[in-house]
Amino acid sequence: MRETRLRSLLAEVPVPAAEEAERRGLSMVEEAFAQRQPAGRAVLPRLAVSFAIAALLAALMLTPAGAAMRDWIGDVFTAGVPDAEPGLTEIPGGGGLLVQSPSGPWVVQGDGSRRLLGRYEDATWSPRGLFVAAASGHALSAIAPDGTPRWSLSATGPVSDPRWSPSGFQITYRAGSSLHVVAGDGTGDAAIARGVEPLPPAWSPQGLALLAYVASGGELRIADSNRGEVLGSAAALSGIETLEWAVDGSALLEASPAALRLREVTVRKALAGLGIGPPRPVPLPPGATVRAAALSPDGATIAVLLLFGGAGERPPHSEVALIERPRTSLRRLLNVPGPLSDLAWSPDGSRLLVSWRDADQWLFIPTDGRGRVRAIDGIAAEFAPGDPGASSFPQIEGWCCR
Amino acid sequence: LGTERRLVKEAQRGSRDALAELYSAHWGRAHRAAYLVVHDAAAAEDIAQDAFLAAVDALDRFDRRRPFAPWLHRIVINRAIDWARREALRRKVDEPAAHPAAEPPRQAIGEEMMDALAELPPEQRAVVVLRHLLEYTPGEIARMLELPRGTVNSRLRRALDRLRTTVEAAE
Repeated sequence: MRETRLRSLLAEVPVPAAEEAERRGLSMVEEAFAQRQPAGRAVLPRLAVSFAIAALLAALMLTPAGAAMRDWIGDVFTAGVPDAEPGLTEIPGGGGLLVQSPSGPWVVQGDGSRRLLGRYEDATWSPRGLFVAAASGHALSAIAPDGTPRWSLSATGPVSDPRWSPSGFQITYRAGSSLHVVAGDGTGDAAIARGVEPLPPAWSPQGLALLAYVASGGELRIADSNRGEVLGSAAALSGIETLEWAVDGSALLEASPAALRLREVTVRKALAGLGIGPPRPVPLPPGATVRAAALSPDGATIAVLLLFGGAGERPPHSEVALIERPRTSLRRLLNVPGPLSDLAWSPDGSRLLVSWRDADQWLFIPTDGRGRVRAIDGIAAEFAPGDPGASSFPQIEGWCCR
Repeated sequence: LGTERRLVKEAQRGSRDALAELYSAHWGRAHRAAYLVVHDAAAAEDIAQDAFLAAVDALDRFDRRRPFAPWLHRIVINRAIDWARREALRRKVDEPAAHPAAEPPRQAIGEEMMDALAELPPEQRAVVVLRHLLEYTPGEIARMLELPRGTVNSRLRRALDRLRTTVEAAE
């Protein structure tokens, strides 16, 4: 067979409606191009805006009103929220917390009672809070909240970041750099992707067997969790640390320390196709570093922890803020000195829980901006029984289920 | 290649004309390649569009020293393979009796070529398209599809054996 003949045959096959397709494609591509911000052109205006805002802030700080604001930032919460409660006697907003301490994960019930599950790490709730999946070396285990192990499997590499699907039928986890999916009863374990980034994947919230993850090389992929087939891909946000799927399935949230952005996701009927839209950057205040970001349970709001570096004589401070979708205006809820960490929405969306390690406090913050911030003191010792001077602070892994 | 680098550079700086030129230079082959793998005009259009949207998305990070076409073709072909595999699976589940019972009428050579390609698994279609339409070497194809070169060669050999009858009939 002559290869030249094959070449010409392939080049001659008529492609139906090729010209119309080309025109439609060009219009889509030009629209996407018009929405992007060319890096080279944007530098000067951005710098100018940053300088203008910095100058405005400096001026504000020197005025009497500005001095009041500086005092509020610097003094009101210097040593933690005043009138903090001395111990955890209930979870404001209800539900159950999953908290990782050096000795293992704890389940905290709504009345404040707690139980250590054992020597596990990376614990995660099942969708209705009936079980916890957790890692222990090369093993993945499912545990009842009373600490009873239900099943365990051995993996080919160190297990990390298990995540239960919203349907409860599947769990995904990483074994080394491979992404696995296993049935909720511990059977049918299979690797669906190799060479993935160390980032918790995100399940489609709509009961579809779809999983979003980031492959090494920085490719954001959406795959069929049963077969691992990649149904859609796009370039992931550089330095991505958070990937979340909005509850209506319409968007993915990507967060890195430097940026926050949303992408539309369109799933066609019967998984016949999947579209990932162009990224839509969410504007952040100048100088802000994103420490954490999380979508509200109804998917309409993004909560962010922002850290502002200690430029000049100003010490670093943190803000807890809400960004409403599709508008992207920022609503500040709290401003404290030093860094904040962890960020969890209450199951009903009425509160946020954040950790303030410097003050040894958890802060329960009303999201309507009206109620009082409830602070719980002495958190490190709460999760280190017998060690009242505990120096390590526990990490909030999840807040589940009313 | 020099012209392409200039176009990429200008597009990175925001030139809509440069983007349109890049699009015009690469759309046709990308679209045709997708169509030859998926055999579905709407899907081919979606795949080519998605690849160009990904290119716009990644434009600022694109290394101008590298040629644009292999990067684009890699996205197109991988997405086309994924689509064709999924479609094959869907047909298996939804239409178990869809094979035509009667001898099909004589077709134009383009249709015969498409029918012959349709008999191949998507992975073999993809290597044929990459090798004989887009003219990549087996080594380049291996890198694009993240396969060993031997696998590419064996897929090509099997595919060409099966296409032989159609091509020879056209000679």
